[in-house]
Amino acid sequence: MLRCESVSKRYGKGRWILQDVDLEVSGGDVLALVGSNGSGKSTLLRLLVGLSQPTSGRVMGRPRHIGWVPDRFTAHERVSALSYLTHMGRIRGLSGPAARAKAGRLLDRLALVGGRDAALRTLSKGNAQKVALAQALLVEPALLVLDEPWSGLDASAHGVLAEFIAEVSAAGGAVVFTDHREAIAETHATGVHAISDGRVSPRSGPSQGGPVTEVEVVLTVPVTGAVPLEVNWYALPGVTDASRGENAIVLRVAREHSDTALLTALQHHWSVESLTRPGTGHASRSGARRAAL
Amino acid sequence: MIALVRYLFTVMLLSQRYLAPLLLFVGLLAVLTSSDSGPLAATYGSAAGGMLVCSVWLTMGLIGLEDQTHRSVVVVTAGSHLRVLLGSVGTAALWCLPLTAAGLVLPLLFGSHTFTFADAVLGTEAQLTCAFTGIAIGVLCSRLIFRRQGYALLLALVLLLAVLLAKGVSPVNVLLGDLQSASGSADVLGSTSALLAISAGVLAAAVTATHAISVRRS
Repeated sequence: MLRCESVSKRYGKGRWILQDVDLEVSGGDVLALVGSNGSGKSTLLRLLVGLSQPTSGRVMGRPRHIGWVPDRFTAHERVSALSYLTHMGRIRGLSGPAARAKAGRLLDRLALVGGRDAALRTLSKGNAQKVALAQALLVEPALLVLDEPWSGLDASAHGVLAEFIAEVSAAGGAVVFTDHREAIAETHATGVHAISDGRVSPRSGPSQGGPVTEVEVVLTVPVTGAVPLEVNWYALPGVTDASRGENAIVLRVAREHSDTALLTALQHHWSVESLTRPGTGHASRSGARRAAL
Repeated sequence: MIALVRYLFTVMLLSQRYLAPLLLFVGLLAVLTSSDSGPLAATYGSAAGGMLVCSVWLTMGLIGLEDQTHRSVVVVTAGSHLRVLLGSVGTAALWCLPLTAAGLVLPLLFGSHTFTFADAVLGTEAQLTCAFTGIAIGVLCSRLIFRRQGYALLLALVLLLAVLLAKGVSPVNVLLGDLQSASGSADVLGSTSALLAISAGVLAAAVTATHAISVRRS
């Protein structure tokens, strides 16, 4: 669908930020771009969504409905979150009531704190980022492009973000996102590309060709009655989901990071009840989780 | 496009950035047209001069309102840079309409005139000619081209002086000259219509240039 052919980019007479980038993204793909700060990830995303023009080469096959989530959404506007989203929906061709209803559903799922009628400028960084995410999903995007989407969002929104990505992909849309943490990229993407020195190369490794294998860890309160300590599970590498039950937590963690997660759990007085390797499909994931809880 | 203009209009309304140019316009009208009992053509010439300055201010304020990140979201949502730029120009023109109405009515309250239909048409044409030229200057001096507002302001002042003083070249200069020397509004209606068309052309050229430069830089 979307194809970059020998794309190079530099601003004015400055250094080359991207050189000879060839990239292809098809419907259903979830592509992660990893690289250090300043490596050109954001520039490539801006080229993909059409905000920026390549200095040489070309980007072809850009679909009509593109969802774009910038890395910083420093909202200084006085319009409310719901009103802003309704306006964005109208610009995308929805009717006012349809846009408002869709915006309300998205904000409910993202659990916006601060009120949907609060002015955008009063929202915290994380909540403003939720609004940025919601505006990209008002109309089912054929291409969803997210710049460092995990940073700034709170732990509970991480799971919702992963669901959104899976839904867009399942509906035949392509998803491209960046992150500087490889563990996160490998967990959520079906393909990972690395950017360094302005060049983009497919990542060789266990994740190539499909989602990385995950394990599901069920942690419970120990039978001794000891009270386990609170842990921010999403801060651990490779953790994609942490669902809480009454006395249990079900973690989904990338296989290569499961030992770290287990060690942290044990150090915080959790008891490991089971460790399983579920199917890799998105449907079976949520099913297994619900069954465990 | 209507949804886009509606959004930009709302953002401008809530930001209250329209207030300073609006007050300046009313102030200029009060100073320039109070106790005036001469022909309305010359009076509306003064109102058009005020409109020129205020439309530059309104346009620069409107385009500078959103930071780069917000604008990028609007651009992707609307589909292209050009569409958002056209939406901004349309919104600025929309904001100039109540000013035009004020420019038509307030001189009648401040002075003593006999008002005819030809006066109303001439006043509207004259103010829109200046509004289009002002929006053209505002777009060229907006944040899309100048990241630093000091340089933008300097260029805006230079361009304002140029369109006011460039004899025989600028539609604004020709218009103000015509209106000052006209004895009746009906006499200059035709020439003012031609100047309105020329200023619309100037605006189109400014939008094209701004789009080309901003896309090249993006």
